[in-house]
Amino acid sequence: MNTQVSLDLQVMLETQGLCKYWGGLKALDDLSLQFFDKQLHGIVGPNGAGKSTLLNLLCGHYKPTRGSILHKGEAIESIKPWAFARRGIGRSFQKTNIYPGATCLENCCVAVQRRMGGNFNFLRSRYTQKVLDEIATEALEKVGLGARRDVVASRISYGEQRQLEIAMVLATAPEVLLLDEPMAGMGHEESQLIIELLKKLRREYCIVLVEHDMDAVFELSDQLTVMVDGQHLTTGSVDQVRDDPRVKEAYLGQGDEVF
Amino acid sequence: MLFNKRTERIFFWVFFPLALLMPLFLADNTFFVSKLTSIMIFALFVMSLDYLVGRCGLITLGHAMFYGLGGYLFWMIAPEYEAVNFWVYTFYICMIAAGVALVIGFLVLRTSGIYMIMITLAFAQMAFYFFSDSIDFGGTDGLFIYVKPETSIFGLSFFDLDNPTHFYYLCLLSLFNTLVFFRVLIRSRFGRVVDAIHENPGRTTALGYNIFIFRLMSYVIASALGAYAGYLFTLQYGFVNPSMLAWTTSGSALVMSILGGMGSIYGAILGTFVYEGLHYVLEHLTEHWMLFMGALIITMVMVFKNGIAGYLEKLLEKRA
Repeated sequence: MNTQVSLDLQVMLETQGLCKYWGGLKALDDLSLQFFDKQLHGIVGPNGAGKSTLLNLLCGHYKPTRGSILHKGEAIESIKPWAFARRGIGRSFQKTNIYPGATCLENCCVAVQRRMGGNFNFLRSRYTQKVLDEIATEALEKVGLGARRDVVASRISYGEQRQLEIAMVLATAPEVLLLDEPMAGMGHEESQLIIELLKKLRREYCIVLVEHDMDAVFELSDQLTVMVDGQHLTTGSVDQVRDDPRVKEAYLGQGDEVF
Repeated sequence: MLFNKRTERIFFWVFFPLALLMPLFLADNTFFVSKLTSIMIFALFVMSLDYLVGRCGLITLGHAMFYGLGGYLFWMIAPEYEAVNFWVYTFYICMIAAGVALVIGFLVLRTSGIYMIMITLAFAQMAFYFFSDSIDFGGTDGLFIYVKPETSIFGLSFFDLDNPTHFYYLCLLSLFNTLVFFRVLIRSRFGRVVDAIHENPGRTTALGYNIFIFRLMSYVIASALGAYAGYLFTLQYGFVNPSMLAWTTSGSALVMSILGGMGSIYGAILGTFVYEGLHYVLEHLTEHWMLFMGALIITMVMVFKNGIAGYLEKLLEKRA
């Protein structure tokens, strides 16, 4: 199915027969996917399809029951959770996950500092290091939060907090962005902001986007994967997926059962 | 700036000059001087606990283990009838305590929250019963320190540890250094990560930090300073006793830290002085002082939501 993607695209992240079982529950079953550099890969599916499980596996938060995850051809499923971020796999969370008590700048500084060294410097003040501030400010400006730089994160709006979270991921200088419903709970205008942002970012990073907002996913995705009940249903371009009868069945079929 | 809160600066400029001048007015009242000394020593211990609990979010009920260890270590490594050098032995004791903390921290920090409270308590109780049941360590009576160390640096001696006023100044200097040390630590890049881990450990891991290492280092630092406080205590009274290791010592230190304002560091000094001050006053008023003490502490914790430091900040920072 991936044959139509031109061959000059580099495979950034790959899953091979990836499984995650919680006891008898197959949250994710035998998933093999490829994520390409500088492409946005959308993942959709009804609730309980295993989308968040997939992201949690890709960022190292969960360990897979079986199968492997390859980053640039190297198996990484057994490395420590924090080592994923050091390899350039950054993620945002479904539920806003920031440092609410710190300023936006400080939030991003924590993200920048990891790769800048000096994490075990007990003496030098954290506030006197201009390079760090500059990189952090750059990340904030990229997501359009430049004006909020010195505001405490708990005081900015919910939509801005979601933007901040993306800024924090960008500040880690990632290659892969795993975004878990970045538009969840947002109004139309705020969503539009994120969509514009992702349009800018999708040619710079390998992005895996899990999102419920279908219009947004259709608009943004280069590749689209549909999942149902932990199983892979189909992967292809947006048009291919939209016309796939199985996809309609998966969504509408569920609706029938509910009503 | 080292102290980023106005309250903290005010406290700093009120407390230390006052403490510095105090012995001048109380020159002949050695009881009061040594009472203040022991409060300062315990404040140092509470401060190290405050860093762990309030700054790192590592709630431990076993911190007294290091307090006691500081005392017992001195007895173990120092020759019985010979004055050793105070500074050299400070270094030894802090290093050995740090080594012990490294091993225990490695095990303890795999847990968190209520489980960590339980496992730190378990380790502390093990240490308590080891020292209180062993004849070699004097059992429940503890041990006497016959010779106090001398304090010369390159042949120059500034303190005579047998002189209460000198010892007072040594403890004040230690308390001052510890406060400045923790402030510098919190302000540093390391401190940034520690703050981040406290506020949101999951997010900090997702940003690529190995949070275990940062917690372990914090634990080691706080434990070494806790042992230093125990060492000072032993030098002041000339004995070590298993009650130093008892969980009630950890418990009251925790209460003082909460009373002072958790995580504020300087609140540890406030909390310890208020607690010990109340203790002293109530003890002389009534035999049932613990009853009133308990009631007062409950009231204060309820009224001052973030401890005394938090309350003062609310009063003083508004206008700033």
